[in-house]
Amino acid sequence: MTLQSAPRPRRRIGLVGAGGIAVAHVPGLLRLGDLVVHSQDGAPALAAAFADEAARVGSTITVADSLDELLAAVDVVDVVVPTPAHATVVRAALAAGRHVVSEKPLARTDADADDLVARAADAGLQLYPAHVVRWFPAYRRLHEAVTTGLLGDLAVLRFSRSGAFPTRVAWFGDRAQSGGIVMDQMIHDLDIARWVAGPVTRVSAVTVRTGDDEHPVEAAHVLLTHASGAISHVAGLWGPPHLAFSTEYSVTGTRGSLSHSSLAEEDTRADLATPTAVDGFLPSVDPAEDPYALELADFVAAVDGGPLPRVSAADGAVAVRLANAALASIASGQPVEVTL
Amino acid sequence: MTLRVGVLSFAHTHAIGYLSALAAMPDVEVRGTDPGGVSTGTTLGELRGADLTGALGVAHADTVDDLLAWGPDAVVVTSENARHREFVERAAAAGAHVLCEKPLATSWEDGLAIRDAVQRAGVTLMMAYPVRFASAFDRLRATHASGALGTVFSVRGANNGMLPLTRDWFTDPALSGGGAIVDHVVHVADLVDGLTGARPVSVTAVANRVLHAERARAETAGLVTVTYDTGMVVAIDCSWSRPDTAPAWGGLTLDVAGTGGTVSVDFFGAAARGLDAVGGRPIELRYGADHDVPMLRTFLDAVRDGVQPQPDVQVGLRTLSIVLAAQESVRTGRTVPVPTA
Repeated sequence: MTLQSAPRPRRRIGLVGAGGIAVAHVPGLLRLGDLVVHSQDGAPALAAAFADEAARVGSTITVADSLDELLAAVDVVDVVVPTPAHATVVRAALAAGRHVVSEKPLARTDADADDLVARAADAGLQLYPAHVVRWFPAYRRLHEAVTTGLLGDLAVLRFSRSGAFPTRVAWFGDRAQSGGIVMDQMIHDLDIARWVAGPVTRVSAVTVRTGDDEHPVEAAHVLLTHASGAISHVAGLWGPPHLAFSTEYSVTGTRGSLSHSSLAEEDTRADLATPTAVDGFLPSVDPAEDPYALELADFVAAVDGGPLPRVSAADGAVAVRLANAALASIASGQPVEVTL
Repeated sequence: MTLRVGVLSFAHTHAIGYLSALAAMPDVEVRGTDPGGVSTGTTLGELRGADLTGALGVAHADTVDDLLAWGPDAVVVTSENARHREFVERAAAAGAHVLCEKPLATSWEDGLAIRDAVQRAGVTLMMAYPVRFASAFDRLRATHASGALGTVFSVRGANNGMLPLTRDWFTDPALSGGGAIVDHVVHVADLVDGLTGARPVSVTAVANRVLHAERARAETAGLVTVTYDTGMVVAIDCSWSRPDTAPAWGGLTLDVAGTGGTVSVDFFGAAARGLDAVGGRPIELRYGADHDVPMLRTFLDAVRDGVQPQPDVQVGLRTLSIVLAAQESVRTGRTVPVPTA
């Protein structure tokens, strides 16, 4: 390979957190620059696990012993800590003058989410919530079908997301910390419903958690009324440990309908004596069109002066408000009027 | 023992299938009456009254009184929804057991009156919920009974179809009791009732008239959530969201989540599929056993044996209670407690 102009300095990206979603982000991040990881837990193991991958794509992955050390060493920060810590880490990164990508939800509370949006704007820094489903190809197709008018005026939308109850780390199951299935998992489809059907005027929700301490299960159903008059149902399921991750949608408008089932559209079906393991926590992705890598590339390109990504900090804050409105409806047993 | 079975009113298109199925049963004498029914065309779906019985080779009675004077052991009520009470009360008073088309009624008052009428007369009422008689539902129940599904805690149900066009009254709220909610919530509600036995507690619903806006006199799309006394939560899409141009009428799917895992059933999904080479339109050739015949068989066996069949009038009331609460929720924008009998 020959380069006609001097290469720009290597981008340095900070990754704060080393949990499950970090594993999904690292391959894409390594293609965008050198990676510095800091985490209360697991950073050396993460760096070791991806050392070969980093070398293969010509990047490095190293560990910073403190958040300050990481912030001093990088240009952009990807925050993948547990939900209750998002706001604190994002604030620190913004205060250090760094552009920030934050895993969803942008924050646990409406006030924190709004505060982060305001701080980023005041500092002239870019802040992006990682609502990765907007980069999943089936949901891009849906958005295209709606925005090009293929489906006409939207009438009724259904979204569903199912997987295993996340028991690997305790904070997911703690509703106060994570916001439960509504804030952690269903916020994806709440964001998608608003992305395709527009602003929301009313939110209602019902939920259940049962099972036992070792094998809890949780489900919720959220109904949205959109300003356009369209109505949406968002279903979330955290089931037993063996449950494979799956998503569905079914959207009908005056000119047509579009539906998708991730299980039905899998391009490979194997029937082997030794079954392959299923991942109940994250969707399977095509590595040639990895949605995590695509969103991170878009975010980093925007930081470099490229086009605005398809999700903004404000969208992230609205998604948090939608999820909290659903939680408020669960608490009160009545629908909640909103302007979101 | 040969049973005399009357079909009261052909207002509901299901009367055609019931008349045909009953006429084909060797141990059943069938007679139909269709007060006020006027044919709107020459196809089977457009025939009413003596035109329909004539086309099906079934005996006809000119009036309800004539039919009841014949002394039927049982009747099938396939009138407009809002007239179920009137026909059930007359049939029960004549001592006939009743298979009632869904929904049981269009108001709580009428539903209770129907229950009281059959109790007073000592006759049986069974609800015509045919999907309960699908083999797939038997398998679902067996899976649940085996314990493999564990405790059912969440269900997604979708019963989507076309805007009913064959009979005008389906879209006249005065006769149908509303729109998509009264038409399509009940089947999913019945299956959940039959599977879990849980009792509905509260209902939240949203609806609109975006689809078929020019013809809509009630909601054409609706989404309903229901909480149950077991803690279970259920969501139902009852929308008339199948376009008139679709290759098949619609369907019913159930996604059941239990502590042991999930079972998803697509009750009408089996089909051979292809593409029309001229227009590129999908060809969808569905298959699967008819559910009406086992439902009628269950009803007639119960009439012979004097055993109360399921789904009974209480199921009819519970499924109606969800419909009425959903309609009130749409009107008020509130979550509504479900009335109990």
